Amino acid sequence: MSGPTLYVTLAAFGVLVGVASGLLGVGGGTLAVPFLTLAVGLSQHAAEATSLLVILPTAIAGSLALRRYGVGNLSVALRIGTIGAVGSVLGALLALALTGGTLRIVFAVFIGIVGLKLVRDGLVSEQRGT
Amino acid sequence: MLDPKLAAIGIGGGLLSGLLGVGGGVVMVPLLVLWASYGQRDAHAISLGAIIPISIAGIATYGIAGEVRWWDALALAAGSIVGAQVGAGILTRIDERLLKVIFGTFLIAVAALLGAKA
Repeated sequence: MSGPTLYVTLAAFGVLVGVASGLLGVGGGTLAVPFLTLAVGLSQHAAEATSLLVILPTAIAGSLALRRYGVGNLSVALRIGTIGAVGSVLGALLALALTGGTLRIVFAVFIGIVGLKLVRDGLVSEQRGT
Repeated sequence: MLDPKLAAIGIGGGLLSGLLGVGGGVVMVPLLVLWASYGQRDAHAISLGAIIPISIAGIATYGIAGEVRWWDALALAAGSIVGAQVGAGILTRIDERLLKVIFGTFLIAVAALLGAKA
């Protein structure tokens, strides 16, 4: 894919990513990263980096909306995230030190676990958690 | 000063986010509920807010390494902000448990596909 076709496809897939995250609270990165590698052909590293840039505006928009409804505590959240940023830099440096193939396997194991957890939650829970 | 538990949750979420290019909510939400005794809704909101600085740090790190595809991200983000409104709007009208089973099964299939291609 190239040029306009690529961007239209990306925006359309973005809608799906957004619907999934709006519905389940997961979906941003777990969907964007495999799409960017398998369909768009980015390397695992570039896909992860790009996914984070998709997550940022979504998190800002979501947080502002939730603050209007008085859910959560944005100042505590930002302080947790500021300390978490240390972890994020370390995690990204670790990813950059791995080969694309290894990182892809680590990512596959991760979404496999998330998938199993979702299936289990869906089958087991009698009442809605959220 | 921030509660050490909350700091640990942030660092754990940050590590996962930076390593895998995801938000980190998958780890932070359960920990905030089970370990820091937040309600589910507040935990979701706090996790989402924490992702803001966490993702900025990850973007900066990958950005310096030249891995960020800015225009691809912009196109995806434009779609996803629209989609999130739609998703939140239909949330009340669907069976959440069935949705989890379907989406979970889909992720397991994608994991297998990625594993086969690695």
